[in-house]
Amino acid sequence: MSTLDVEDFIQQNRAVADQVETYRGYWESEKHWEPRREFILRNIGDFDDEQLDQLLSLSMVWANNVFLGCRYSTELLDRVKEMAEGIVVEDAPVFKTRDEIMKKQQGR
Amino acid sequence: MGVPAFFRWLSRKYPSIIVHCVEEKGKECNGVRIPVDTTKPNPNEVEFDNLYLDMNGIIHPCTHPEDKPAPKNEDEMMVAIFEYIDRLFNIVRPRRVLYMAIDGVAPRAKMNQQRSRRFRASKEGVELTEEKQRMREEIIQRGGYLPPEEIKERFDSNCITPGTEFMDNLAQCLRYYVADRLSNDPGWKNVVVFLSDASVPGEGEHKIMDFIRRQRAQPNHDPNTHHCLCGADADLIMLGLATHEPNFTIIREEFKPNKPRPCALCGQMGHEIKDCQGVAREKKGQHDEFADTVPVSEQEFIFIRLCVLREYLARELTMASLPFPFDFERSVDDWVFMCFFVGNDFLPHLPSLEIREGAIDRLVNIYKDVVHKTGGYLTQNGFVNLERVEMIMQAVGVAEDNIFKKRKEDDENFKRRNKEKRRRMKAEQQGPAYLTTGQFAPHALGRRDRPEAVHNARHQAYDVRMQHNKDAAQSLKAMMKNGGNSSAGPSDSTESRGVKRKAEDSDSEPEPEDNVRLWEEGWKQRYYKTKFDVDATDDDFRRKVVQSYVEGLCWVLRYYYQGCASWKWYFPFHYAPFASDFKDIKGMFTEFEKETKPFKPLEQLMGVFPAASGNFLPSTWRNLMSSPDSSIIDFYPDDFAIDLNGKKYAWQGVALLPFVDERRLRAALAEVYPDLTAEEVKRNSLGSDVLFLSRSHLLFDFIHELYRTESNESTDIPAELCHGIQGTINLDDDPILPDKTVKSPIPMLRDISQNSSIGVKFKDPQYADGFVFKAVLLPDAKIPNKVLKPGDWEKGNREPWRPQLGFNPNRQQAHLDQSGFRALGHSMNRNQRGGGQYSNAPPPSNYHQGNYRPPHAGGHQPFQHSRQNSLLGAPPSFHQPQFPRQQQQQQYRGGGHGWDRAVQSQQSAYQQNMNRDRGGAGPGGYQQRYDQRRDDWHDRRDDRRDNRGQQHQGYSSGRSYPPPPPSRRYNWN
Repeated sequence: MSTLDVEDFIQQNRAVADQVETYRGYWESEKHWEPRREFILRNIGDFDDEQLDQLLSLSMVWANNVFLGCRYSTELLDRVKEMAEGIVVEDAPVFKTRDEIMKKQQGR
Repeated sequence: MGVPAFFRWLSRKYPSIIVHCVEEKGKECNGVRIPVDTTKPNPNEVEFDNLYLDMNGIIHPCTHPEDKPAPKNEDEMMVAIFEYIDRLFNIVRPRRVLYMAIDGVAPRAKMNQQRSRRFRASKEGVELTEEKQRMREEIIQRGGYLPPEEIKERFDSNCITPGTEFMDNLAQCLRYYVADRLSNDPGWKNVVVFLSDASVPGEGEHKIMDFIRRQRAQPNHDPNTHHCLCGADADLIMLGLATHEPNFTIIREEFKPNKPRPCALCGQMGHEIKDCQGVAREKKGQHDEFADTVPVSEQEFIFIRLCVLREYLARELTMASLPFPFDFERSVDDWVFMCFFVGNDFLPHLPSLEIREGAIDRLVNIYKDVVHKTGGYLTQNGFVNLERVEMIMQAVGVAEDNIFKKRKEDDENFKRRNKEKRRRMKAEQQGPAYLTTGQFAPHALGRRDRPEAVHNARHQAYDVRMQHNKDAAQSLKAMMKNGGNSSAGPSDSTESRGVKRKAEDSDSEPEPEDNVRLWEEGWKQRYYKTKFDVDATDDDFRRKVVQSYVEGLCWVLRYYYQGCASWKWYFPFHYAPFASDFKDIKGMFTEFEKETKPFKPLEQLMGVFPAASGNFLPSTWRNLMSSPDSSIIDFYPDDFAIDLNGKKYAWQGVALLPFVDERRLRAALAEVYPDLTAEEVKRNSLGSDVLFLSRSHLLFDFIHELYRTESNESTDIPAELCHGIQGTINLDDDPILPDKTVKSPIPMLRDISQNSSIGVKFKDPQYADGFVFKAVLLPDAKIPNKVLKPGDWEKGNREPWRPQLGFNPNRQQAHLDQSGFRALGHSMNRNQRGGGQYSNAPPPSNYHQGNYRPPHAGGHQPFQHSRQNSLLGAPPSFHQPQFPRQQQQQQYRGGGHGWDRAVQSQQSAYQQNMNRDRGGAGPGGYQQRYDQRRDDWHDRRDDRRDNRGQQHQGYSSGRSYPPPPPSRRYNWN
């Protein structure tokens, strides 16, 4: 799904798109929301309505990892990376996690 | 307020607000402890009516103390908490009310901070355990000795969160404690005790504020109640000011920097865990009789007098020729509001306002400038006038550019000075280029070991000469090898021997990288890009941040003045905007969502705990924190980024944790709610404040009667029976009743078989929706006497003025007569050598010039001078008699001028006084201990002096008016 496809999809499924729009976090900039929206739209077909929260959770896991620098278990990260395959994020920020900082400070 | 610097700043700027506590210690006689009789007048020469305890400030140091070994189990922790409360009760001696508030579920606005603290604490705990394990193995391999590992579970301080079993036990234990004291301690018999445990929502200090606010809004409130609030948070000062009660005092532990801590591995003092050698403990005292004496002093307490702070603020904020009438109470509220810009628990502080850089002074100056144009105050009763706030913000915004540039400059100057200092220290350590050795080695003057006569001088001189030649030859060789690059001469001998010169900066820390560079052009763009990952052109996003911040300011102020306006609101970003971004904010906030409800305790635990603390939760709940299929798994990262944000250590940085989605949290929990056991359901429910009192209280019969008639309706307290305190009472389901045994929840304490206390549920007075609590002085409130020296006071004109050191303006002063000074000088002054205090004064003779030390720091100079002046002018002839010890001293001290000695003995007097206040031991037994702890004492004296220096700034301008001589009852002197 390229950006264009996402636009198409939104055009054709207004109801779903409007619903997904309500999941945007207040703190999310365009740059952060658009890829996550794509993540949700790409995978929404694989989740039932009751499982929707789980999809949202996975989308947040992915977004937190990419935009906030959070680490989760490898199992989980592998899974969301697979789900996000093909989503292009340009100029993603770089972070140092707490563990990395501690390791570096100990090394001194 | 998470701003430790705030209190430091405040106490430096307004030194007279601090009064050291006088604490009467229990005596021991033949091994029997005699408790202090707290019915006696308060030794602080003031009487308090109400004592409020922000319990979390007590629970933390009692469960995981930093300066002594941790308690072994929960029971010991509880006993430590009891003792701590006893101590406070003894110091403050409240006559009407004791209010204990434990943090309950906090508003959502606080959750970000709680999450960040708990995620960090959990990681720090694991790291400490790992480091201990690693060091232990290392030391044991090297053959070191360590005490066997105690079989105890690591105390996870995260359990101090509402909803855990620990907090439930604590509530039980406190009920027992209160019942016991009410039944057995005469000092408690007329006191009403309120216990607001973790099951009642709200942060402890805000529950206390709610109580005060709701009491003073009802007609029976005594407007001259003297309140005393215990807690170390700086925001208690703000809260106290916000009440507008004229008599409000805060009590807290005295903060002493760099207190020694025991090693976490072997429990000995003097080194940190990473330097632990595993050496057997040294004997303390000749027969190890001091083995259990803790080498650190017991934590002492200080009072912070808000009425004195109000005097200072009145001076600073009073403005003449305003376009509207000046109202001091309103300007105090504005001051409190401006302090929030600098830091609070609910919002990140503005990047340009740093308390260490005098941000509050800057704000006050701007405020006084702008208030002429605003046409009124910034706030009223906790509601913000945004239009006026915008003017302040814009004025700060104008300066922002320069603030950042100056910050960088100061930072660089600081680093440069530090580097130079290090270099200087190194040079000093190396000593002069050439030193005689052996018998000719230089000796410091005035030591006890006097140099002996030189033997065999010729041979020694020869050796020295030869060594010198060798050095010279070697350096010559090295010089030739290096092609003559290094400067010649023995002074460089180490270098020229081919030792590689270390990089000059080898000891400086690596700089944390800083992509924002606020001091360079384009800082705003870079800030938004780095911190929020948005382009500077994204105005919409920036306005969103500003709007949230504006809402936040309104929320915080309302929280302090009216109570929690919304349990749901929170600031959904990790960083603040710039002051200059606050444009057109007038319409940004209207009202908060009404009727919001706090989380239930277990729900809040799910919101603030990392998965590693999941053991405090039921298993299916815990599972939601770790299962990949959980619908809230994104709340619980294993590791998270930390933005050092210009700071050096991880704990100072900003933890970038994701925000909790309340809707998803509640939805996920709905499925696991049925799994709760009955006990967990109880822990998860809302509780009630409880009121306790003893049989001798006027209200007792009234409550007892309610239980007898089993009246299940809410009943109002008759105000005349309880010092005008009002509220609604309800029967407790499992009440504490007189003559009903109260079971002890702690095995080592006995059940109370002769209980004479009673407990009943209590509810604060209720007010109609939309009621506004007025932030004003009450009509009959009497303002306490002024303490500060009148600004226009001059010696000799008008009435005399005397500095006030405690609560009582007419305090009795103690004096020593000649013989007293003589006796003190006799037994004390041999410890005075090198003391450093008198060396502040000009050297009395040229002999002393070599020994003269520069003054320590500017801060305490005025004090010392004034003191010495006064003391020198004291009893005229007391330095004449020659004491045996002093004569001894003269042998190596040279001409003992009368002046010199006078000061010495004076200082002794001062020290002796100090000791008496502390230990209460007689001078005889004291002498021995003093020798042992001399070093310790000296250090501490320096600490104290720092404090005192601050205290005296208030009247140091009147140098000719020295402080009175120390009194034995006031231990701050």
